[in-house]
Amino acid sequence: MEMELQAMYVQILALVIFAIGIIVAVSRRNVFFVLMGVELALNAVNLSFVGFAKTLPADLSIAGQIVPLFTIAVAAAEACVGLAMVIMIFRNRESVDSNDFSNLKG
Amino acid sequence: MLALIYFIILGVIAVGSALCVLLSKHPLYGALSLVVSMLSLAGIYGLLGSPFIGVVQIMVYAGAIIMLLTFVIMVLNAGRDSKTPRFDKVSLFVIPAAIVLAGLVGFVMVRSGIAFDATTLRGSVKLTSETLFNTAQEGPGYFVLFEVIGLLLLSSMGAAVLMAKKRLGTDNEEEK
Repeated sequence: MEMELQAMYVQILALVIFAIGIIVAVSRRNVFFVLMGVELALNAVNLSFVGFAKTLPADLSIAGQIVPLFTIAVAAAEACVGLAMVIMIFRNRESVDSNDFSNLKG
Repeated sequence: MLALIYFIILGVIAVGSALCVLLSKHPLYGALSLVVSMLSLAGIYGLLGSPFIGVVQIMVYAGAIIMLLTFVIMVLNAGRDSKTPRFDKVSLFVIPAAIVLAGLVGFVMVRSGIAFDATTLRGSVKLTSETLFNTAQEGPGYFVLFEVIGLLLLSSMGAAVLMAKKRLGTDNEEEK
């Protein structure tokens, strides 16, 4: 069997990057790393979209290559609002530790 | 064969720089590793035959979003806040849980058996733009989504300006 690039390899790479992104977003305490983890996870989803699009025949394969453009635009809006919130909270609390941001402690 | 070699090189760079994001101490180093990860993912898009998404990835993600993130990190001077520990006790449960979940999903996915289709279309600029701005009545209608995205970006920009401006205004009044 000749070694070629398989569609499965792309999905596995996307899965690994998604898992790392989720781990960064949930376990890191610095709030900038939380935002970066969300960006990594969104990137992995885009890669998965393109990888699956390439498994479909002719005209069906276009949709999976259009949707990542919208995902990237939504990620830009999310980063814009998220960073504005970080700036506002940092001015109030003088901290980037996400544990200091929790007002709803049980 | 050559495609597989390029894919392995780019994939190792992407995963390695993602791990650098996980392990780096200062957020600035994390942002720079994230740029490397985005650039190698753009290379993979080109390799898979979607060059337009790769270019948009470089321009918007690596060029605009991470640039904004780096700018905010520098403006806030978060480097002086180096006492924030990297992980806490919750991470002991989160990291194994995420790894086990990824392992389960990967196990199911490997058994599903998907393959590339030979007749798939290359996502060039011409094809992408023709599909995206196809305003025919029986067309896919992506142009409506495009307009909605414009509204979303405008409203998020307005929200960000309002949120950041209010605090700056009160600062100036306090100084007076």
